[in-house]
Amino acid sequence: MNPSCREAEKSGSPERLSLLASAISSRALQVAAGGPGEKAWTNGRVVFVDASIDRREQIDAVAVQASLLAAGSLDTDVVRRLTRRSALARRYLAVEGHRALAAIADLLPPSVRTLIDSNVAARADSPAASLAAALSRESVADPPDSFGTIRARHLLTSINRADSSATTRQDAPREQRNHVLAELAEDEDDGTAADLFSSPVGGRGALGRLLGKLLEVVRQLNGGGPPGADAPTHRTRAGTRTGRNPVLSTGMAGIVEEAAIERRGTRYPEWDVHRRRYRQDWCTVQEVEPRPKDGTPLFVSDAYGLRRPLARLGVGLDRFRRRVQGDDIDIDAVVEARVEVMAGSAPDEAVYIESLRRRRDLSVLLLLDSSGSAAEPGATGQTVHEQQCAAAAALTVALHELGDRVALYAYCSRGRSAVQLMPVKRFDDGLDTAVMRRLHGLVPVAYSRLGAAIRHGAAVLEDRGGTSRRLLVVLSDGLAYDHGYEPAYGAADARRALAEARRRGTACLCLSIGAHTDAETLRLVFGSAAHATIPTIEQLSHVIGPLFRAALRSADIPRPLKGRR
Amino acid sequence: MAGDGARAAGLGGVVSTTRAARPYYVPVANEERIFKAAFRQGLSVLLKGPTGCGKTRFLEAMAYDLERPLLTVACHDDLTTADLVGRFLLRGGETEWVDGPLTRAVREGAICYLDEVVEARQDTTVVLHPLADHRRQLPIERLGLTLDAAPGFCLVVSYNPGYQSVLKDLKDSTRQRMVAIELGFPPADVEEKIVAHEAGVDHGNAAKLVRLGQAIRRLETTGLREVASTRVLIAAGRLVAEGLSPREAARAAVAGPLTDDSTVTSGLVEMIDVYLAD
Repeated sequence: MNPSCREAEKSGSPERLSLLASAISSRALQVAAGGPGEKAWTNGRVVFVDASIDRREQIDAVAVQASLLAAGSLDTDVVRRLTRRSALARRYLAVEGHRALAAIADLLPPSVRTLIDSNVAARADSPAASLAAALSRESVADPPDSFGTIRARHLLTSINRADSSATTRQDAPREQRNHVLAELAEDEDDGTAADLFSSPVGGRGALGRLLGKLLEVVRQLNGGGPPGADAPTHRTRAGTRTGRNPVLSTGMAGIVEEAAIERRGTRYPEWDVHRRRYRQDWCTVQEVEPRPKDGTPLFVSDAYGLRRPLARLGVGLDRFRRRVQGDDIDIDAVVEARVEVMAGSAPDEAVYIESLRRRRDLSVLLLLDSSGSAAEPGATGQTVHEQQCAAAAALTVALHELGDRVALYAYCSRGRSAVQLMPVKRFDDGLDTAVMRRLHGLVPVAYSRLGAAIRHGAAVLEDRGGTSRRLLVVLSDGLAYDHGYEPAYGAADARRALAEARRRGTACLCLSIGAHTDAETLRLVFGSAAHATIPTIEQLSHVIGPLFRAALRSADIPRPLKGRR
Repeated sequence: MAGDGARAAGLGGVVSTTRAARPYYVPVANEERIFKAAFRQGLSVLLKGPTGCGKTRFLEAMAYDLERPLLTVACHDDLTTADLVGRFLLRGGETEWVDGPLTRAVREGAICYLDEVVEARQDTTVVLHPLADHRRQLPIERLGLTLDAAPGFCLVVSYNPGYQSVLKDLKDSTRQRMVAIELGFPPADVEEKIVAHEAGVDHGNAAKLVRLGQAIRRLETTGLREVASTRVLIAAGRLVAEGLSPREAARAAVAGPLTDDSTVTSGLVEMIDVYLAD
């Protein structure tokens, strides 16, 4: 057993039960810690369970909620009739819970199967029948505590959201926060009888929970960056931004402090377009570890159909026959050589098969814009940042599975001395949940000094990529802005940085996903590097193949491996 | 020429001709009837199914029933036509033709099984075309002759549609020459029998392992790339038969092989603990 799973065993966090929940419900279902003393409930994508109860009870509670989902007990038409009728919901749960468990009893762990009361389960054979039983005047015993509760309104909002944007994948905790108000409203009509005697202000009372939740939100807000970090970072020539609200970024102050302590960093020059010369050692780039965020979903293999177009990029041969040296004998060549010897002529000595695994000789570094401007809502309602993250994840997974070397770095900056690159996945990191956690933990904040980020990204790629073909992919809204880095200056610098990289044989591709930046601005920033604006991530699979190919072709000149400055 | 001997041995493919007992195979649906009908009609067969669901075992049982030798070739991406058909080797200063496994099967009227055929290069699979359709012929360019397949010859290829080889797909022209038999994981009661028989564990343990396997299989849609196959469950069962506790066995034989991701591993370990509770 490896150390990490021993560790996970020790910590009693309910997240560990996510796979169990997914297996029982046969859908992607997360488990998260709910409020203390709260009965287990689900919104259809996350099961919330009290982390303080013991493991056995947690398992039971999760299994019941997952079974309800699996057995169709929480489908819209039934749930709609339970809204605002908590007593009915309780009676329904008492009958339907047993029915749902019994319906998939074969799949349940032995310990959970003991929960089933077959007498009750026999009363109904469908959710509708359970509802009828709950509506009737028959006496129905209260459901056991392990059955948790049904929160009809949460389920409905969750289902509606899933319907309206079927491809949207959000993670649970963020959603939890958005739901604070709705949850409070529902808590009231839930009539939490068990809490009658606890203090209404402290502890578990409704008011206490209200205060707790308000304070929690406030604590998150005051962790912002330096003054001005929340201000809009740029003027834009594009007139079509949908979100007119001020940009709100909730970055953590801690990153800045760490940056201040760690003054060591790599210095890069910057192109001063006004004086037409470089400013040597102008920018300092630090690599800052991103903060992982718990409870993110597993990565999905080939989420947007990128693998097929990317797979076709493979070029070159892998086995070479009739070589003078090699690791296998080319039988056909040997036979011919022997025949020639017999015939008295000089044989060809090239009789080996050489394995040169150069089939996918490609390393890719994805550079993800994590500046405040990415927090603006894009065309589809998701923020640019969310779309870029989804694209970065999909590209990383697809390229990794194809056997390419992939790294993913996010960048933002606060002036020339604090350009930060956050390694979400380094070249030598494996692709695992930790990577996805770091990616989902990114918060768009501050500005983007694009040129320095590109220079550092290209340097990392050339240093650690380790292949002769290298591709730098910039995922950005194309807005370069920082202190002393106004758009025209920034665009010229970014353009310059891309040109430098390409001169050293690193292909560059700039993708703008879901942003409203107009084509002309992008052309200013990305120059003659391959670039594209893609309205939604779903369209990525159509264009990614030609884009990668075009980018690689433009830099496809044999170069020494380390051709750095 | 040290490689020659090894090559010559490798050229033959794997032949199984033991007639001890019928390899254990429990039919799930009509696959045995389809296979035998296709065999009698001289049709080629395409076996589809996830890894470890019993494709090879099914074929062993069929070869036993039909009393034909079985030649197995594990295809890989460097398999050439010569590897299948045969090549000239040198023996004592003379060139000598050595049949490849496919040619041997054609001559002897054996069942030739190309495992994971999509792994083979497409130009290699084209050699199967005249064999797979009504002609049942194998042209051997280098010898300048065309062999007619002996009665009893049957070409069987297998492939795993979910397998992550994107560039590789079976050509339509190849597929359409075949009769397809789709195998899946067996239903729980059958799988229990299989695990109990193969691993030599009691029925209770087999049932527990199968229940765990079935739960893990429901995770397929949620990011787990490969799920617990029957083979994996049997491996766990065999560890149990050796005296390990079911939990230990499942951790080693089920959770470990399925994933390297530590979060997924701990989730699986959790499932194992819940399903295999004592």
